[in-house]
Amino acid sequence: MSTEEKNLNNRPEDDKLLLDHDFDGIRELNNPPPPWLMLIFYATIIWSVFYVFHYHILGTGPSQDEEYAEAMKDAEETAAIQVADFDEANISLITDEALLAKGIEIYNAKACMACHGGAGEGNAIGPNLTDKYWLHGNKAEDIFKSIKYGFPEKGMTPYKDQMSNEDIQLLTSYIVAKLVGTNPANAKEPQGDLYE
Amino acid sequence: MEKQIFYYDNKIVRMFGNATILWALVGMLVGLLVALQLAFPAFNFGLPFTTFGRVRPIHTNAIIFAFVGNGIFTGAYYSLQRLLKTRMYSDILGRLHFWGWQLVIVSAAISLALGYTASKEYAELQWPIDILIAVVWVIFGWNMFATIAKRRVRHIYVAIWFYISTVVTIAVLHIINSLAIPYSLMGAYSIYAGIQDAMVQWWYGHNAVAFFLTTPMLGLMYYFLPKAANRPVYSYKLSIVHFWTLIFIYIWAGPHHLLYQALPDWAQTMGVVFSVMLLMPSWGGMINGLLTLRGAWDRVRDSAVLKFMVVAVTAYGMSTFEGPMLSLKSVNAISHFTDWTIAHVHIGGMGWNGFLIFGMIYWLWPRLFGTKLFSEKMANTHFWLGTLGIIIYAVPLYWAAITQALMWKEFTAEGFLAYTNFMETVTKILPMYQLRVLGGLLYLVGFLLFLYNIIVTAKSGKFIGDEEAQAADLEPISKKRQPGETAHSWVERRWVPFTILAFIAIFVGSAIEIIPTLMVKSNVPTIASVKPITPLELQGRDIYIREGCYTCHSQQVRPFRSEVVRYGEYSKAGEFVYDHPYLWGSKRTGPDLARAGVKGGKMFKSAAWHYNHMLNPAEVVENSIMPRYPWLIENDLDLSLTEAKINALRTVGVPYPEGYEKQANDDLKKQAQMIADELKAAGINTTADKEIIALIAYMHALGRDISESKTAQK
Repeated sequence: MSTEEKNLNNRPEDDKLLLDHDFDGIRELNNPPPPWLMLIFYATIIWSVFYVFHYHILGTGPSQDEEYAEAMKDAEETAAIQVADFDEANISLITDEALLAKGIEIYNAKACMACHGGAGEGNAIGPNLTDKYWLHGNKAEDIFKSIKYGFPEKGMTPYKDQMSNEDIQLLTSYIVAKLVGTNPANAKEPQGDLYE
Repeated sequence: MEKQIFYYDNKIVRMFGNATILWALVGMLVGLLVALQLAFPAFNFGLPFTTFGRVRPIHTNAIIFAFVGNGIFTGAYYSLQRLLKTRMYSDILGRLHFWGWQLVIVSAAISLALGYTASKEYAELQWPIDILIAVVWVIFGWNMFATIAKRRVRHIYVAIWFYISTVVTIAVLHIINSLAIPYSLMGAYSIYAGIQDAMVQWWYGHNAVAFFLTTPMLGLMYYFLPKAANRPVYSYKLSIVHFWTLIFIYIWAGPHHLLYQALPDWAQTMGVVFSVMLLMPSWGGMINGLLTLRGAWDRVRDSAVLKFMVVAVTAYGMSTFEGPMLSLKSVNAISHFTDWTIAHVHIGGMGWNGFLIFGMIYWLWPRLFGTKLFSEKMANTHFWLGTLGIIIYAVPLYWAAITQALMWKEFTAEGFLAYTNFMETVTKILPMYQLRVLGGLLYLVGFLLFLYNIIVTAKSGKFIGDEEAQAADLEPISKKRQPGETAHSWVERRWVPFTILAFIAIFVGSAIEIIPTLMVKSNVPTIASVKPITPLELQGRDIYIREGCYTCHSQQVRPFRSEVVRYGEYSKAGEFVYDHPYLWGSKRTGPDLARAGVKGGKMFKSAAWHYNHMLNPAEVVENSIMPRYPWLIENDLDLSLTEAKINALRTVGVPYPEGYEKQANDDLKKQAQMIADELKAAGINTTADKEIIALIAYMHALGRDISESKTAQK
C-alpha cells in the first residue's frame, strides 16, 4: 500500500466520494459545494439587485450629491445656533494671563510658525509680527480681520472656516500681548508702515 | 497505448525559483526602506533615487511582478508538465520567458529609480518596457498553450483553468491600460483622460490583484496543497462553481477603488455590488483548500509546508472578506486614503502570496534536489516569525487608519474641524508607523532563515535537471460530447473552447463598464472654465509625476463636509478632462492637493512657501515626514521636450491650438519669470529656469479653473 492510499484511508468515508479523476496523483472528491456558501452567494446576488433598485431604479436612495447636500444642511443648522455674539466690529483684547497662555497653543496648532517663525520673528514667507511695522494695520480689529479673511494673493490663509471668532480673538490678543515688542533672534527686516 | 519515457524540465523550475528568492529579498529590503522612510524621514537620504515617491513603486513592482511573478512561473512550470504528463513545449521559449522577465524587472527597477514612470499604480513602467512585457507574456502563453496541446492527459485540471484565465486576462488588462502616446523614448501620456483614465486604471489595478495575485496563486494552491497534504481535493463541483463565478465577477469590481470620487454613480454601484457578490466565489477557493486538509490536520502540526499553506489560505480568506467590506461606501468613506488599504494588501501579499510561495518552495526544493529539507525546525521558526511579522505589521496600521480617519472627520461643537492642521493627524500615528517597521523586520528575518535553509538544502542534494517520467499518448477521441459526458467535463478536454469561454467571462464585465465610460458624454458634465494647463504647468506636472508626489498626495476631494471644509469644493468629473494621466492618488500620507491653486482657499500657499517647503519641509511644517527635494531648486528645467509633449497631448485630445508647440517655450519662460519675480520680492534669489518654478506653477494651477468659474459667475 503506497503512502498515498494510506492517507486517503484516514477518512474511509471519503472513498465512496472519490471521482475517477487523477491528475499527477491528485484525486478529487464528489462533495457538493457547502450549502451555506451557496446560500450566502445567492443572498449577495439578491442584495445586489435590491441595492441597484434602491439607488438607481426606484430612486429611494440618495445620490452622492444629495447625500452631500443633506450633510451640509445639517451642519448649517447646527452652526446657526452657535454664532458668536461678536465679530471684527466689536472685538476686545483679552488680558487674562491664564487665557493668554493658551494663545501659544493656537499659534502652534494653526502652524503660524511656518510663515511667521516660532517667536513671531517672520521668515522668507511671512512678515515679522514683533516689530512696530505693519502691512495691514496694528489695531485689534485689523489683526483680527487679517487672520479671519487672510490675504490669499500673498499666501496668508483665511482662517474663518477653521477657527471660531473666540479663537481668533485669543490669537489676536496673544500676538498683541506676547509677541509685539519682543526682540527675537533672526528677526525679519521691517515691512509696511510704522505704527507707534 | 504503449507507455513512453520522457523528461520533465526541472532546470527552468530552478531558474524561476532562484529568481523568486532573489527578488523576494530585494523587494522586502526595499519594503523595509519605505517603511523606515515613513517613520523616519532621514532614510530618504536627500537623493532623488532613494526618495519615497520613487522607491515605493519599486517596492510594489518588485513584490508583485518580481517576487510573486517568478514564484507563479516556478510553480506553473513545475505543475504544468506533471499535470499534462509532458515536457514543456519548448525549452527555448521557456528560457526566453525567463530572461525576458528578468530584463523587465531590472529595467523596471532602474527606470523607476530614475523617475521614469507612467504614474498608474502597478502599471508605472514606461512604454518600451510595456511592449517588452507584452512580448514576454505572449511567449509564456504560447509555451503554455502549446504544452497543453501536446498533453498526455485527457482532461485539464483546475489548476490549469486558473493559469489559462491568468494568461488571457493579464494580456487584455496590460495592453488596454498601457495604451499611451510617447513624447520621448522614456515618456508617454495615457490616451485616456480624467475619469476615463481612472476607470481603466482601476479596472486594471483591481484585476492585477485578481489575475496576477489571486488566480495563478489559486492554481498553485490546487496543485501543491493536495500534493503536500496527500489528500484528495474536497470538492470538484465547488472548484467549477468558484472558478467561473470568480473570474466572471472579479472583472467588474474595479470601481470600488473610486467610491465617492468623481465617477458616475452607476459605475460606483457596479463596483459595490460586484465586490459584495465576489465574497463567496473567493471563499470557494479558501474552503476547498481548507477542507482538502480534512484527515491531514494532525500533520499540519509537524509540517512547516502545510502550516505555511494553511495560513496562506486563511489570509486569502481574510483579505477576500475584508475586500467586499471595504467596498461598501460607508466603510470606504472611512478607510479610503488611509493606511487601512496598506494593511489590507499586506495581509494578502505577506500572508497569501508570500506564505504560499514559501510553502511551495519548501516542498519543491527537496524534490528538485533529491534530498530532504535541511532543517524542518528552522522552517518552523520561519513560519512563526513570519506570522508574528504579519500581525505586528498589520494591526498597528489598522489602528493608525481608524485613528487618522476619525481625526480627519471630527468637528468641534462650534462646527470647525477639530484638527485643522493635517500634521496633527500624522504625528498621532507615527508610533504606529514605527511598529510597522518592526513587523516588516520580523518577516524579513524569517525570510533570511528560509534563504539559508533552501541554500543548504540545495547544496546537500544533487539537482535532477531532467526528471524521468512515463505516460502513454492519448487515444484519439471525438471532439464532440460523448454520451454521459457532462458539458463541463467536455470543455475540460477541449482547451480552445475553454479558453474562449474564459475570455468571454472576463470580457463581459470589462466591456459593460469600460465602453460606456469612454463613449457616453453625459458621464462627464463639462465645465466651460476648465482649460488645458500652460506649458510651464505641464512641465511641473511631469515633475510631480517623476517624483511620485501622487504616492502620498491625492487630488480628489470627496463630497464630505469634512473634506470640503478642510480642502475646498469637492472634485467634479469635468475638471479632469485634460488630465493625461489622471493623478487622483489612492493614499493621503499628506493632505489632498486638488485645491492647492485656489487663491483664498485653505490649501493655497504662496510661491515662497512652496520654495521653502520643497527645500526642507520640516522647516516649514513642524514634524513633517515629507522628504526634502533640494534637487528641484538646483536642477535646470529641461525645455527640449516641451514641443513633443504639447504634440503628444494634442494627439490624445487636449485642445492646444495647431502650431502652439512652437510658441510654448516662450510662454513658459514668461510665466516662469513672473514666479521668479514673486520669489525675489519675498527675498528668495533664484533664476526662472529651475525645476522648482515649474512645480510651483503646477501647484498654483490645481483647482484654479473651477474656482475662476465661480468668481466669474458672481
